[in-house]
Amino acid sequence: MMPELFSQAYLPTLLRYLFIAVGIGVTMLVLYQVLTRLGVRAEAATGYTLITPWLLGFLIWTAFPILASLYLSFTEYNVLQPPQWVGLENYGRIFSRDIDFWPALRITVLYAFLSVPLGVAGSLLVAILLSTNIRGLGIYRTIYYLPSIVPAVATALLWRWLFNPDAGLLNNFLRPLLRPFNLPPPNWFGDERFVLPAFIIISLWGIAGANMVIFLGALKNVPRHLLEVAEIDGANAWQRFWAVTLPLITPVIFLQLVMGIIGALQIFTVAAFIRYTPAAGKFMNILIYQAGFQQFRMGYASALAWILFAIILGLTLLIFRSSEAWVYYETTRK
Amino acid sequence: MSQRGVAWRESRRRRTLVGQVVAYTVVTLGAVVLMIPFAWMLSSSLKPLDQVFADPPQWIPNPIQWHNYVDAWTALPFTQFLFNTLFITLLGMAASIFTSALVAYGFARYRFPGRDLLFIVLLSTMMLPYVVTLIPAFLIWRTLGLINTYDPLVIGSLFGGGPFFIFLMRQFMLSVPLEMEEAARIDGANTFQIFTRIMLPLVRPALLAVGIFSFQGFWNDFLGPLIYLNDLPKYTMTLGMFFFVGGTSEAPKWHWLMAMSTLIALPILVIFFLAQRQFIEGVMLTGLKG
Repeated sequence: MMPELFSQAYLPTLLRYLFIAVGIGVTMLVLYQVLTRLGVRAEAATGYTLITPWLLGFLIWTAFPILASLYLSFTEYNVLQPPQWVGLENYGRIFSRDIDFWPALRITVLYAFLSVPLGVAGSLLVAILLSTNIRGLGIYRTIYYLPSIVPAVATALLWRWLFNPDAGLLNNFLRPLLRPFNLPPPNWFGDERFVLPAFIIISLWGIAGANMVIFLGALKNVPRHLLEVAEIDGANAWQRFWAVTLPLITPVIFLQLVMGIIGALQIFTVAAFIRYTPAAGKFMNILIYQAGFQQFRMGYASALAWILFAIILGLTLLIFRSSEAWVYYETTRK
Repeated sequence: MSQRGVAWRESRRRRTLVGQVVAYTVVTLGAVVLMIPFAWMLSSSLKPLDQVFADPPQWIPNPIQWHNYVDAWTALPFTQFLFNTLFITLLGMAASIFTSALVAYGFARYRFPGRDLLFIVLLSTMMLPYVVTLIPAFLIWRTLGLINTYDPLVIGSLFGGGPFFIFLMRQFMLSVPLEMEEAARIDGANTFQIFTRIMLPLVRPALLAVGIFSFQGFWNDFLGPLIYLNDLPKYTMTLGMFFFVGGTSEAPKWHWLMAMSTLIALPILVIFFLAQRQFIEGVMLTGLKG
């Protein structure tokens, strides 16, 4: 098996990989020569040359695909026959007749809007507690960071099972607590009402640690003398945090909110592993995957992808707009 | 020192002590809660299947079934999957580290018309949902006849490794003082020599951070292999696990799944432990200051 796969799969890929790497290198050299011949300053020519790999990648793997995807979203395309132009039909069908679309949109947006602020707030709290010079900081940092490095696949399996309504650990804890109220423990992924909270719990477990590390860095950057001055002026810990620390770290909070929401709207792996139970969340990306790669309706899937894109863009712009009111940049002080 | 000053210091010390006790308690409780799922995963990976569902939950397996790991591993050709995953991960990681550093160096150190605009374009591609480009990208690879090969999974990394890595690397490079590069330039070193001999060694924490992030990315990638790979022997670990769970109609073998989950997380845990300090410092130093 092994040598066979090497010659059939590894080696060809390896050769094409090296070929393209060399190709990019040669392109860079040629570009540099051409630019300097054209009289471009050496510094500028070097700059353009150095960013060439990204620029090529952007054109081939981003710009062209975006346009292609937009075009495809107006077609019916089953991969076997050429795309058929259908105008706005895909979009019309998504909004009016796709029974999965609105629930998917709802759970995706709610998930992003609930899990991200909770995660950012929680990780900020932990970072603040850990930013005082307490002993064993390294161990705590590691423990909090660990969940975020567990592969999404493992995370999904682990939680799918912790949430198991009959034998899962979580319900084993909850059952005695709920018994006095005569409440049954939740059927997490089998009951529409509990799917969203379950996914939010999973996300909090997975992401809080990574955010915390970044917050720790940001808190370290808060100048000590500002805090000391505030303390001598009689500000208590809460006032110091509210008036000095928080404003100074708003740029980081902002960045985490934006990146978090962009990421959360694109949840796929965890949802794909958990979807096996009937009522569990069909997120937007699951719909897109099913339409495109299971049913081979590439046009329809592209339209769904574009709707997701529009939503991400809209929400991001909204957060950017709001940021003018609450994000503090040091440059504005000067 | 005045009396007031002494009293102030005294009360400050007492307050810090109380604060520390509270901080310790909250943080320790949080850490325990976060670790419970890990402990449960590990404990269940060593249990007989019927004990997995014991009520009340049984934390210490009895007997400890080490052979769960062997059974799970051999239920599908996971040795093969491991090699496939390593192949993709190493190729992708090497390219990501090198090309993202190269591009970041251009953005961090050279002035050229349109640079800031291009950098904004780069940043804004971070907001682009990957599914928008996924379908056309799939169609490109299909046109090239390279579906069911590893090319779609690794070749993209030759083009800068993605906006986040470039951003991270650039931020780090901006914090490196210019003098050493200038000195080398006066000594007659060319751009490539300065980049490889001066810049790369100076940004080691950033290289490490990108290295770990990309290792994690390729090692854990699921959607990519799911879409591009068709033959079972070519599967990666994550893809193997997916069909390991859902492919059969019989009840999931949870003890096996937990064993595989532990194994798949293990290399990243080991790397993280070895590089923990530098890695976290690298991320923290960059601070991702907007």
